[in-house]
Amino acid sequence: MPAIEMTNPAALPADWRDFVALTKPRVMSLVVFTGLAGLLLAPELPPFALGFTAILCIALGAGACGALNQWYEAEIDAKMRRTAKRPLPAGRMDRQSALHFGVGLAFFSVILMGLATNWLAAIFLTASILFYVLVYTVWLKPRTAQNIVIGGAAGAFPPLIGWVAATGHVSALPLLLFAIIFLWTPPHFWALSLFVRSDYAAAGIPMLPVVAGFESTRRQIFLYSLPMAAAAVAPWPLGLAGPVYGLSAAVLSFVFLVLAGRVLASRATEPAQMDAEKHLFAYSVFYLFALFTVLVADQWIH
Amino acid sequence: MPKLEDEIIRRQRERARITALLLGAFVILLFFITLAKTGINW
Repeated sequence: MPAIEMTNPAALPADWRDFVALTKPRVMSLVVFTGLAGLLLAPELPPFALGFTAILCIALGAGACGALNQWYEAEIDAKMRRTAKRPLPAGRMDRQSALHFGVGLAFFSVILMGLATNWLAAIFLTASILFYVLVYTVWLKPRTAQNIVIGGAAGAFPPLIGWVAATGHVSALPLLLFAIIFLWTPPHFWALSLFVRSDYAAAGIPMLPVVAGFESTRRQIFLYSLPMAAAAVAPWPLGLAGPVYGLSAAVLSFVFLVLAGRVLASRATEPAQMDAEKHLFAYSVFYLFALFTVLVADQWIH
Repeated sequence: MPKLEDEIIRRQRERARITALLLGAFVILLFFITLAKTGINW
């Protein structure tokens, strides 16, 4: 991999804030939240110190993914307006520091998870890191428009890891949570990729709008929203959650489908006109937060 | 050049301070993990 030009003198050590930026803190917040939800939904809660450590390890594992992703994609990030100011493309950090930081975080999070909770949780954490870095970032992302569909599995692991850290085994509810995030990822990312299409095109990443066009992407967003909504409501009829969750999930998913329908009907081709896409993207983040919050609240009510 | 050296020293100090804080936090975390694993009531 050719080295990227450094605008910063090599002798200058990277600022600690840039190491924090390398972990993608905003993405990490959603990962931590869904991991915490998985842990809180477990039938038996671990002691506070172990639960805290499990969530810390999930956060550090997500941080490792962010760092290794930015290490591998430094040159691609430099071509996209959205990512050009990250520490590596902006020349504020050398590549080797990012690699060492990412690998170190990954090993640390997995070993601590295994020692503090159980090794099954550590295995799932390892799988999620390897899946994100090797399967999604290195293999799928630069090669296929289905990158987000399969790669979405990496982001779906945290509630499963949280649950397994608490219980030591896998059961139906965490698998359903995995399915919800897995099916939520394509509409979420494709809504974003519609209004940053030119960035992806400039970087040569075959995101669906770049490869298949706007109309096809909008259709796929709506089609994926249907099984996502079904998976979101499913815990209620399956007896894994109560009516508080079931009705809330139905309303939240209905609004999601309405917004996805607006995207389907949209004919905008300029980012400035893509209000429907921006609304769906913003709502999709709220949707996942709200869904998991209500699910935890519902379990506690019962 | 002195400005660059000052900046290098400032960043190294900041990083050393944060590393020390993180190590301290890790030791405290290990202490509480040990208590939880051994079932000792606090």
